[in-house]
Amino acid sequence: MSDEFIVEPDVNFIKEVSKLGGQDVKKCFQCATCSVACPISPETKPFPRKEMLATSWGLKDRLIGNGDIWLCHNCGDCTSRCPRGAKPGDVLAAVRTYTIGEYAVPKALGKAVNNPAKLPFLLAIPAALFIVIGFIIDLVFGVNWLNFSPSGEELWQADYFNNLLVDIIMVPTFFAAIGVFVLGLKRFIGDMHANAVLEGKTAKEKIDPAGFVQALVKIVPTILKHQRFSECGENRERATSHMMVLFGFIGLFIVTGCFFTAEWVFHIEGPYNQINPIKWLGNAGGIALIIGAFLMIAQRRGKKDQISSYKDWTLLGLVLMLGVTGMLTEMLRLGHLYGLSAFIYYLHLIFVWALFAYTPFSKLAHFVYRTVAMAYQEYSGRK
Amino acid sequence: MDKKYGVYICEGCSISDSLDVGALKDVAGEEGLTAKTHAILCGSDGVDFLKKEIEGGVNTLILCACSRRVNHDVFRFEGCIVDRVNLREGVVWPHPRSDFPALTEEEKEDEDNFDRVQMMAEDYLKMGMARVEKVDLPEPYKLDSFTNKILVIGGGVTGMSAALDAAKAGYPVTIIEKENQLGGAALNWRSQLPVSDPYETLIAPVAEEKIKAVEAHPNITVKTGTLLARLAGQPGEFLATLKKPGEKIEFDVPYPLPDEMKVDEKGKELDAETLHKKYMEYNKGRKDILTLDPNGDKFGAVVLAAGWKPSKIEGEAYTHLGVGQYPDVVTNAQFEQIAKSGKIKRPSDGKKAKSVVFIQSPGKDEDDSDFDFAGSVTSMVSLKQAKYVRDDYDDGKAYIVYQHMRTPGLNENFYKSLQQDPGIFLTKGNVVSVAKNDGGLMVEATDTLLGEKLKIKADMVVLAAGMEPATNDDPVVNLAYRQGPGFRDISLFDGFCDSNFICFPYETQRTGIYAAGAVRRSMTTEEAMEDAAGAALKAIQCIESSNRGVAVHPRSGDMTFPDFFFQRCTQCKRCTEECPFGALDDDAKGTPKPNPTRCRRCGTCMGACPERIIGFADYNIDSIGSMVKSIGVPSEDDYTEPPYRILGLVCENDAYPALDIAGLNRLSYSADVRLIPIRCLGSMNVIWIKDALSQGMDGVFLLGCKHGDDYQCHFVKGSELADIRMKKIGDALASLALETERVAQFEVAIDEYDKVPKIINDFVESIEELGPNPFKGF
Repeated sequence: MSDEFIVEPDVNFIKEVSKLGGQDVKKCFQCATCSVACPISPETKPFPRKEMLATSWGLKDRLIGNGDIWLCHNCGDCTSRCPRGAKPGDVLAAVRTYTIGEYAVPKALGKAVNNPAKLPFLLAIPAALFIVIGFIIDLVFGVNWLNFSPSGEELWQADYFNNLLVDIIMVPTFFAAIGVFVLGLKRFIGDMHANAVLEGKTAKEKIDPAGFVQALVKIVPTILKHQRFSECGENRERATSHMMVLFGFIGLFIVTGCFFTAEWVFHIEGPYNQINPIKWLGNAGGIALIIGAFLMIAQRRGKKDQISSYKDWTLLGLVLMLGVTGMLTEMLRLGHLYGLSAFIYYLHLIFVWALFAYTPFSKLAHFVYRTVAMAYQEYSGRK
Repeated sequence: MDKKYGVYICEGCSISDSLDVGALKDVAGEEGLTAKTHAILCGSDGVDFLKKEIEGGVNTLILCACSRRVNHDVFRFEGCIVDRVNLREGVVWPHPRSDFPALTEEEKEDEDNFDRVQMMAEDYLKMGMARVEKVDLPEPYKLDSFTNKILVIGGGVTGMSAALDAAKAGYPVTIIEKENQLGGAALNWRSQLPVSDPYETLIAPVAEEKIKAVEAHPNITVKTGTLLARLAGQPGEFLATLKKPGEKIEFDVPYPLPDEMKVDEKGKELDAETLHKKYMEYNKGRKDILTLDPNGDKFGAVVLAAGWKPSKIEGEAYTHLGVGQYPDVVTNAQFEQIAKSGKIKRPSDGKKAKSVVFIQSPGKDEDDSDFDFAGSVTSMVSLKQAKYVRDDYDDGKAYIVYQHMRTPGLNENFYKSLQQDPGIFLTKGNVVSVAKNDGGLMVEATDTLLGEKLKIKADMVVLAAGMEPATNDDPVVNLAYRQGPGFRDISLFDGFCDSNFICFPYETQRTGIYAAGAVRRSMTTEEAMEDAAGAALKAIQCIESSNRGVAVHPRSGDMTFPDFFFQRCTQCKRCTEECPFGALDDDAKGTPKPNPTRCRRCGTCMGACPERIIGFADYNIDSIGSMVKSIGVPSEDDYTEPPYRILGLVCENDAYPALDIAGLNRLSYSADVRLIPIRCLGSMNVIWIKDALSQGMDGVFLLGCKHGDDYQCHFVKGSELADIRMKKIGDALASLALETERVAQFEVAIDEYDKVPKIINDFVESIEELGPNPFKGF
């Protein structure tokens, strides 16, 4: 660590973190029970005690670039043992949310994502987007990608919302989100390294990209197997539901990729046959999402000592709604209720767009930041 | 009183199983008294039996039963002298027959055999009988004039609270306050620490309300701009001379001569009359303490609530903190004044002080001590003042760098609520320096919670000055006592006046003067108000006790008082000087003048007097001496191997209870010791030791309480004085060709009952090693 340090607390940082679920951080009186309880705390740098202190002193710069906070899976051991009710696990969660907002540009959008009052507005954007662009294309090019009363015996959602309309909106959104992540990660990795050098957590001076990618590959199995999760004491049961959601998302991502390729490369039109193994994967993914989300919601509701803030509920709500609207669209179509199916599909589109567009700003971004932080940890050799 | 004796032996509590009661009765018979037995003396039947005996004319009862520390109410009989021979806790219980077997019939045949436990019981009975012969029924000392008015010194929150409490209880009160208005320190505060649940927020100072209540109360007289010039007399009839601050009057209290003026050029002590002459010269313009002010005001008791002043932080020790260099480095008291007068601005340029660092400990070195007189109050004041910064400025920041953050009791809630403020930052730390930084100050600290050398930009720095008691450099009470105007030895307690903080709060070393508030220790307003109630009750207890002619404390209700046989007084002044409570004032010739209501009946004067002319009705040189002389000391004329005899003079406050508890727990000690409870080791007169040794006893030990800075003595100095006297006894022993090891003093606390047996046994063993007293049998 540095020899001298001019401390300049950022009171607004403290206030923001408090709003994000870290409102008890100031109760900390530095007893270090959390560091003893924490399964990932190293012996020489008490974690998360020093993070608690840095937060209560408003030392923003020490936290947002701190990779350690991402190594925490909020197992809750510290929170349940804290004698003062300062809830270190929730404070770290709040700091992570703050960090996500700090690295994602534009920041205004990040603020809106964490503001309950802005939720209707945020959902109204995709709702309007599909309708407005559909109309504009109709007006300008005379192409009818938006059909509210298609005719025919066997219909599916693409007859209402043409897949082209969907994809010309979704594909750019998806890549925009990746762009936001890339920009954020560039700064994040730099800051993380600077912090590690400053705090003596690594011997490496520069980041070597090839080595970093190797480290990334190395930690993927750890993440998939939820190895860190199973080290948790208090929240152990959460690993299952989290795994369901994660694998649900991965499955659905593969399914979406396959069908995207089928449609645009091989020009095979949907809807696809139910006996298609890709379809099986899709259905399984959807069900996993729904069950996983339900379990997580139930677990959060049952846990009185842990803070569940807006950021948590919106994410779980989004996951649940993605699964529910997706499955309902399919089921209604199979039940020949084509109009209702199309309406639910419209809702599904809204949620999918929200997932793509808001992920870099929401709690869900943890899958990127935590993965990168874990990769960095692997790379830097930090224990 | 024409004594008619009766000896009664209780057979209960396994006394009769252990002892040969018939033989005990014979011991009484040898003195010409008939002993009667009863199965359970303390039962209603037993008490009725005793009452019948009293009706039958007995007025001096020797009850051979349990310790005098139990059943004292059961065996209290109006108009009777009662002596309790401690057969149960003192003989039977600590000497069970399993360890100390009785003689078999066969053994009894041989006269060279003896039963140590039976001997012990018989000796105690003899001692009881000897004692009652020498004591009288006490008669209370009644004052000629008496008042129940209470004087409260200090018109701050403590003084006003005490006055209100005493006035509500029906006692007329006079408050004197040196300033021109009531309110004291609280007048300078913006707000104060919480005084009631939930202890979370600051409140308006309570002083205003108190002032209104005091001014409205018909029983309270307020004299502002007034000091106490001198306080003469004694509880129940104190005589106060009041004056304006700065005035010089003839009734200003005189000071005792410094030690170097008490001797002549050769270092020899001057005689009493020369001393008095020098003393009067030394106090020119002031009347002697024994001259009474004809215009003085009479009071029954005094509550001392003189309060505190902020301790000074100055000098070289604090230059690293910028003291005396930067005007923006202030004390908490100065900061409070700034806060009182409006938003917090820097003294140097009037700029808003939005970043303030509160330093709780001087730091710099390894030493983690706080500023002088600092404690929990300064911790809480720093929290309070941090809140001012936050209240005044939305973007204000307050930092507290402490070595100790003390928020006792429910004040923890206050700490918690302040801690929640996002703009208040707390860290333990060692402040290294305060330096100039562009436009402000820079505070540097090491060993902080943040783990490194920390620098904090500050607009102002506030140092935690502690609460120095007003009594630290001023006697305040200005007592017209021969021992001096203030409290003795309070420098041992950093100027806080209290005689025994734990056992006897409020009681100063001067009877009738009760300390409350910050003169007792640094404390919050809430604590001070509670303290005031305690001191007011003590003052009332004092008035009521003095009025009935009994001791106030710790021997509450004791009707005896020291009686002097002045014809034989040699004016040696030892009693005057050694009295822990300054109860005696000697006159121009050096003859002591007793002030019985100042007296706490410890008997220190009795122990000190070389002429042995001081005694109490039921406790005197002769009563204890006769007990000593009545102890049987067997010699080789009696037995081939006579048992040793060792006398223990035992302090009745701590050591004797510990021995009783040892007995209760069946912890045994040698049966060759004979214990005599005494009021205080300070009352131990060396003649008793000499008597014991010259009649052939093999050793003498004193068992008293701990002395020194953390003394436990009820009478402050008892053990200490005994210790000094014991050192002097060595020469006397040497002249008798006796080993000095035959006399020893031990310290024991009331809860060390498990250690007492070992102390006694070890001493007995050491005496056995020395061999028997060569005077035995002479």
